[in-house]
This record gives sequence, structure tokens and C-alpha cells, in this order.
Amino acid sequence: MDFELTDAQRMFQETARQFADKEIVPIAEKVDQLGQFPRETIQKLGELGFMGVAVPEAYGGAGADTVSYVVALEEISRACASHGVIMSVNNSLYCGPLVKFGTEEQKRRFLTPVAGGKSAGCFCLSEPGAGSDAANQQTTARREGDSYVLNGTKNFITNGAEADCAIVFATVNRALKHKGICALVVERGTPGFAVARVEKKLGIRGSSCAQIAMDNCRVPAANLLGQEGEGWKIALATLDGGRIGIAAQAVGIARAALEASLSYSKQRVQFGRPVVANQAIQFMLADMAMEIDAARLLTFNAALLKDQGLRHTKESCMAKLYASEVAMRAGIKGVQVFGGYGYMMDYPAQRFMRDAKVTEIYEGTSEVQRLVIAHDLLS
Amino acid sequence: MVDVLVLVNGQADVPSQNTLELLGAARRLADATRGKVKAVVLEGSQSGLGAALCAYGADQVLRAEHPFLKEYQSDAYVATLDQVASQAGAQVILLADDARGKEVAPRLAHRLNGGVVTEVMGIAGDGSAVLFQRQMYGGRTIATFAARRFPIVATLKPRAVEPAIEQAGRSGEEAPVAVVLDAPLLRTRVVEKVTEEVRGVKLENAKVVVSGGRGLKGPEPFKQLEELAQLLKGAVGASRAATDAGWIPASRQVGQTGKSVSPDLYIAVGISGATQHLAGMTGSKTIVAINTDPDAPIFKVAHLGVVGDFKAVLPKFIEKCRELTQD
Amino acid sequence: MNIIVCIKQIIDPEIPTEQFKLDPTTQRQIRGGLSLVISVYDQNALEVALQLREKQGGKITALCLGDSGATGAVKSALGMGVDNGVLVSDPALLALDSFGVAHVLAMAIRKIGVPDLILTGCVSGDTGNKVVGPLIAEELSLPCVTFVTRVEVKDGKAVMRRIVEDGYELVEGPLPAVVSILSDDSNVPRYSKLKDIMVAAKKQVPIWKAADLDLDGAKVGAGAARLELRDVSIPRRESRCEMLDGDTPEGRAEKLALRLRELKLI
Repeated sequence: MDFELTDAQRMFQETARQFADKEIVPIAEKVDQLGQFPRETIQKLGELGFMGVAVPEAYGGAGADTVSYVVALEEISRACASHGVIMSVNNSLYCGPLVKFGTEEQKRRFLTPVAGGKSAGCFCLSEPGAGSDAANQQTTARREGDSYVLNGTKNFITNGAEADCAIVFATVNRALKHKGICALVVERGTPGFAVARVEKKLGIRGSSCAQIAMDNCRVPAANLLGQEGEGWKIALATLDGGRIGIAAQAVGIARAALEASLSYSKQRVQFGRPVVANQAIQFMLADMAMEIDAARLLTFNAALLKDQGLRHTKESCMAKLYASEVAMRAGIKGVQVFGGYGYMMDYPAQRFMRDAKVTEIYEGTSEVQRLVIAHDLLS
Repeated sequence: MVDVLVLVNGQADVPSQNTLELLGAARRLADATRGKVKAVVLEGSQSGLGAALCAYGADQVLRAEHPFLKEYQSDAYVATLDQVASQAGAQVILLADDARGKEVAPRLAHRLNGGVVTEVMGIAGDGSAVLFQRQMYGGRTIATFAARRFPIVATLKPRAVEPAIEQAGRSGEEAPVAVVLDAPLLRTRVVEKVTEEVRGVKLENAKVVVSGGRGLKGPEPFKQLEELAQLLKGAVGASRAATDAGWIPASRQVGQTGKSVSPDLYIAVGISGATQHLAGMTGSKTIVAINTDPDAPIFKVAHLGVVGDFKAVLPKFIEKCRELTQD
Repeated sequence: MNIIVCIKQIIDPEIPTEQFKLDPTTQRQIRGGLSLVISVYDQNALEVALQLREKQGGKITALCLGDSGATGAVKSALGMGVDNGVLVSDPALLALDSFGVAHVLAMAIRKIGVPDLILTGCVSGDTGNKVVGPLIAEELSLPCVTFVTRVEVKDGKAVMRRIVEDGYELVEGPLPAVVSILSDDSNVPRYSKLKDIMVAAKKQVPIWKAADLDLDGAKVGAGAARLELRDVSIPRRESRCEMLDGDTPEGRAEKLALRLRELKLI
């Protein structure tokens, strides 16, 4: 078992780290405090190929493996969790299903521009009434000639305000339950497709979280991904990959909390010595470091299985679940290590804690992850 | 017995500061080893210069004249010094570590089949060895090298060694040196020279230097540094990050590939302290660092430090300095 | 137009002071687990080469002399978009002085085929030496211009911006030539595109040994070094940095001014 990164993976990590340190770290605080979408850096990341890491070269991507994606995403997320989620959604939730289920034509039209960083994508599954109960789709798709007409509301859509393209889930027949769900690609500017509101969030404030309203939105039937009724299968397959991305993001956030805590505790002096000299602080740092390594290994494991074409549902759930809880613990410990300054908005510890929380919720709550793991154990 | 040959820059009647430092180092080495100091002057004859060079320690002044030496041209300089050095038979050849010295020294050493050492900060000689001291690893260490063969061509870091002392009445010999240079020898030529206007104190001579780095995040804040420098009668410098970002001209760069400064007071604003920057300013007597990152390497070499954003620190600092310097 | 860029792999020069350690026997920095990078100005040289290729076409080769791990540096250069890479690596060539290094590189350049332009960084990122470029020029009897930030090529001639003390010179010279590169805002090394990294990772980097080059024993053999490294020491710092305290940055700023006045520095 070789734990060494390959040349390509090492170079991906190096480039991501250099870019993160030079371009993202200096603006991360401002992005968070102003809640601003970091358009310039996202564009640069796109030009370098970070928005379609595992997309085949033929469709504008870097043609890399999932492990390369994971190491790069961890570096970006360490610098800024907002950049991380924007990258993750583009890669895993938008490009992912197109690579797996798109036709040649669909790939050419909808995948290549996003993978190449020219435009952004989003994934519209959640609805006000369909969070964990994602199959409970209320958005309808009515077939009319060679179009589908969409009606409904999508909720909490990451990248929703900036995306040029969306993969939208809708049902052709509610009676069929999950077997009626379809996935369609909708381009921004399609009449009847609008961003209704953008949410104000606790964390990852640089990424937009939008409510999207579809009102008799007419979409060409050629935009249907896969077959009618295949939507649920597509959603589940996509979320498997998405979880690996979120796991990597969470590892990045946890690492940011650890690095900031290490740095701060070395220079904060109380009782005549740096607080890091206290075992209480050392124990916190040791736990953070250990959990981060463990979370990373779980993430690599899921990524490797995916690259080998093997089933990875349980492993990706475990990685996402564990990494997100590690990020949350690390975020909280980070604030504690900073003491009073951890509570102050001028210091970074609070941002890591706030950013970490959402990783336990989106792309399948921790409760849902546990259900899936248990289901896998019991089957 | 170590004879030292010194390349004298400039055409003025009075030796430049660089030349005095070269002569100082040369004289001390020659005295320690009972050798001679020879100075070679290129670029035209200035009769006063020869006598001045002898007063500052040269035993012999060699004048090489040739039309191709009127302006600096590296091939001509290398070929000339090759011929002069061979005739003069010096064991050590000293040049200033300036743009010319850096280009000429290694090539000359290669022609003479000798060694080369650059940015030397100290030279010592006794019966057994000639030692050269220079920084290594970007100012983190001082390395001492011993010559294993001669000649050694060395460039001297400016303001790192004591200059020569004038001894009135000290005289020496002046002699012309014949130099053969063919036109095809000169392969490169300078087609244009762009000199930057320097207002106020020159960076390398300033007693106070206020430098800005990546932390300033743009060219605008350099105006504040300008204000502070003027107030303290100093000059503005910059780190490589700032000059590479195009925020301030390259001639303001302090560092391994920029200027080497040793002011009484060096104030580093928003400079992290990269090793190649430190290499250019650790000679400063008092170093002050202002940076938001308490872990920044600059604090390891600074004498006084303020952790904080320059946007909050500088205006107040300038105001207080103004108040204090007014009474 | 073909270009060879000579690169060197060094230990990251920006590691914190606490991690910098010297080996008492070799007097060199201890590698430990510290990360390795391409020497800073060599990266600028790669960027200059890439920009020239964009304008003039041709091929760029990265040439590196180092230990076996230096393949990483060559791969990184390939990741930036360079066409080919060559590593010269041999236990017998690990402890050369600048003349030895320049000789090996010059012979490797001859073996590749002397190109139109040879670029190096102006200063070595670890030793701080500024001599390898000019020494290679002497080995190959080529014109040399140092401390250049920009290179343009027109009608088979190079026009180079050379930085001097008080400004810059535009120097014109014939090709082939050796040019040592200094950084400025026009040659900031680009980030590697991910798809270029994928291509680079698949490329084979040939490794040449001393026997593959026709080397002069007088320049690379034992005892060839022209200067002997006697001692390397870390200057002792007498005192810790006095950090001015205070609740606000403005308060600390005032204290700083007062302290400097106390020390009679302002």
C-alpha cells in the first residue's frame, strides 16, 4: 500500500498551495466579512483548470484522478472555505453528472465551458419541502412536444446566483415517487428561471446560496440527462462524489483551524510563557492533528475506490461524516485556543468555526450519512 | 606574499566610496602578507586620480587606455582585465560588487583559470591562507572560504568593509598598460540607458530607510512611506514582492538582488522577511518591523516590533514622529 | 527559437528560522523533510522562456544538475509548460564548485545541442552565488548579459533589459547567448495549469551520468574546487525583538515613536 502522492498529485497540491497562499489567503477575511463572491480568483482558478479537475481533457478538464482533486481542494479550502465549496460544487455536483450521464452533445454544450472555467454550474435538488427527504420533489416537469415545462422552487442552491448553467431535478409524475424524477440542464436566461433570493448565511459567506423559482420554464427535451425517471439514480451517484469533495473541504477547514491555533498559541504569552507550553493546549492541538490525518485518510480511501471504479457509497459517507465532525470540533477548539480573541471578528478562529458547521449539514446531513452507512452494514 | 589588484571604477578625480573600500581591503591584505597593491584604471586618464589612489594605499597605478574602454562593455572589460591581471601577476583581484563587477568577475576568473567569490564582506590573510567571508543561505549564515589556488577574483559587498585611510605624502608608481582589443571581440552593446531620477537621499547612503513589502497590498501606501522617509530624512526602499508587483521601481529594491543597505534605522512595513531581503538589510543597526503576522520571519531579526495593520499603525506613527521631531 | 533554461533544486529558502539547521560535517543545510523548490530566479528564467516561446515558437528544455530527487524540479518545470527536461545526476557530481557546475551544464548543453538562448537565474537561491551563468558563457565562448529582466528577440538578435544601480540599460547582442535573469513585474512565474501538469507527469525525464558527458576531470574531479569552504556559522542574535504592546495598533504606534526617541533614533 503506497501512501506517497504521485508526481501529478504532488504537483497539483503544490500549485493549489501556491495559488491559495498568494491569491486567496490575502482576501479570505474580506470575502467572508463582505459576503462577496470572489469573482476574480474563481476565474483564475477556472483558467488553471481547478473547476473541472477530473473532467476528461476532451471536455476542457484536466483529466486528473479523484485523489488529485481531493489534495487540490483541501489546499483551496484551507485558505478559504467559500472558494472550496464553489470549486467543489462545480466539480462534483455539476461536472460530475454530466461526465457520467451526459450525451456527447450535452457534454460539448454544457460541460466544456464549465470545466474550462469559462462559466459556473450549480446543482438544484433541494426544495423548501425536500431537504433530507430529497426524493419528495415538488418541482414538476411537464412534457410538451420537444420541451419540458418546469414549475417549482429550489432552495439553498450553492453558486445559484452566479451559475450560468444548472442541473435541475424535477418530477414528471409525483405518483411514481422517486422513479418519476428527471434531471435537466437549464441555462441561465431561460425565461421562467430566476434567482428569487440569496440567503444570508452563518458561514461560507463568499459563496451564494440561492432560492431559484421556475415558472413555466420551458427547457428543450434534448437537455434531459439520462432517461426520464433516471433522475434519482443520477442524484445519488452524484452525491457520492460530492461527499468526497465536502470531506476534502472539511479537512481543509480543520487544517486552517489547527494552523491558526498553533501559530497563535506560540506567541500569546500568559503567566510569563506562551500558552502552547500548557498541556491543556497541547492536548487540544494533538487531537486536532490526529483527527485531521484520520479524516484525510478516509477521504483518500473513498477517492481511491472511486478512481478504481469500485463502489464507494459507504466510504464516501464515512469520509464526509467524519471529516465534517472533525472540522466542527477543530473549529470550536480553535476558538477556545484563541481565548477571548477567538470570539472577535478581527481574528480568524471564528470564521473556521462558522464555516465548519455547514459541512455537517449540506450534501446529506450527518444523520443521513449515518443512515446510509448503517443501511450498508445491514444489507 | 599576496599582491592585490584593484579595479577602480569611475572617471572622477576623486576615488569613489566603492574604490576606497576596495583599496582598504586590498591594503590590509597586502600588509598582512607583505604584498603590493596595484590599482588598474580603465576609461581614460585623469591625472589627479593616480596620485589620490596612491595616497589611499596603491603601490602602483596601471592605466589601460583604449577607445573600446570609453563605455562599459563586458567583453572589452573582461579581455582587458585578463591582460592586465596576467601582466600584474596579482594573487587576488578585487572588484566592487556592482552591476559591472558581477558580470565581469566570474568571466575573468574563468579566463585566468582561477577562483571567484562574490559579495565578500571580509578578507583576511596570514602566512597560510587567504580567507574570504560572505553570506550564504540568504543572510542566515556567514561562510568562510579559503583560496586553494590563485588568482582569486573577488567582488566586495558595498559598505561591508572599512575604507582605506588617506596617508598624505604616500606615493606610488604610475604606468600605462598596453591593451590589445579587436572589434569582433565586442559582441554586445548598450543601445539605450534609462536612468531613474533620484530625489533626496540615495537609498544606499541613507541613514534611515523605510521599506514597504507585500503587506502594503498596492502602490498607494508607498506615498505614506515617502512622507515618513522625508520626515526622518531618509529614503524609501522595498522588498522584492513589491517591486515584482510593479508597485515601485526596481531600483528601490533592498535585498540580495537589490541594494544592500546598512542604515542606522531600518523600518520594515508589511515585509515578511524573506531570506533574500534580509540579506540586503541585516547590516542595519536598528531594525523596526511593522507586520500583521506575529510569526513573520522579520521579527526574528528586528530589534523593535509592532504587530498590527500598517493602515492603523503608520498614520499614528507618522503623526507622533512629526510631533517629536518638531520640538 | 530554442531555449535551454538551467535550473537548480534547492531547499525552500523561506522556511522558518527554527527549521534551518546545518550539518556540522558537510557545513551544508540539512534537508530533513523540508520541501524542495526550483531556485527562485530560475523560476523567473522559466517564465521568460515561456513568454518568448509564445512570441517566437520553438522548444524549451529545462536542464538540471542535482541529486536523484531533482527530477521533481524538472517535472515542475515541465508542469509550467516547458517542452523537455533533462537531469544530470551522478554521485560523483554532487560536491562541485561553481566552475564544476558550469562545466557540467555546458557539456550537457553541447550534448543537447547549443540552442539560440541559454537562460539561468541571476543568483543561486541557496548559496547566493551569481556566477554560473557567466561561467557557462565562458565554457561555450558565448556572449553573456547578466541581471536581465526582459528579453525580446528581433531579426536573430536579442534585446535585453539589464538592471543597473540607477536604472536600466537596453543591451543588444547576437544569438546564441547566455542571459541571467532577475525578477520583475513582467516575469512573475506563472502557476502551472492542471492539464500541463498531467502532461508533465507522464513525460520521461532522461537522467545523464558523468560518463554520458565528456567531462574534464580537472574541473569536476576530487580536489577540483578552487575555494575550500572552511566554516559556516549562524550569526548569534544578542537579543529578542522588543515587541511594543498596547491595546490598539494606534497605541502601539505611539509607543514605537516614543521608544525610538528614547533610543535617539528620531
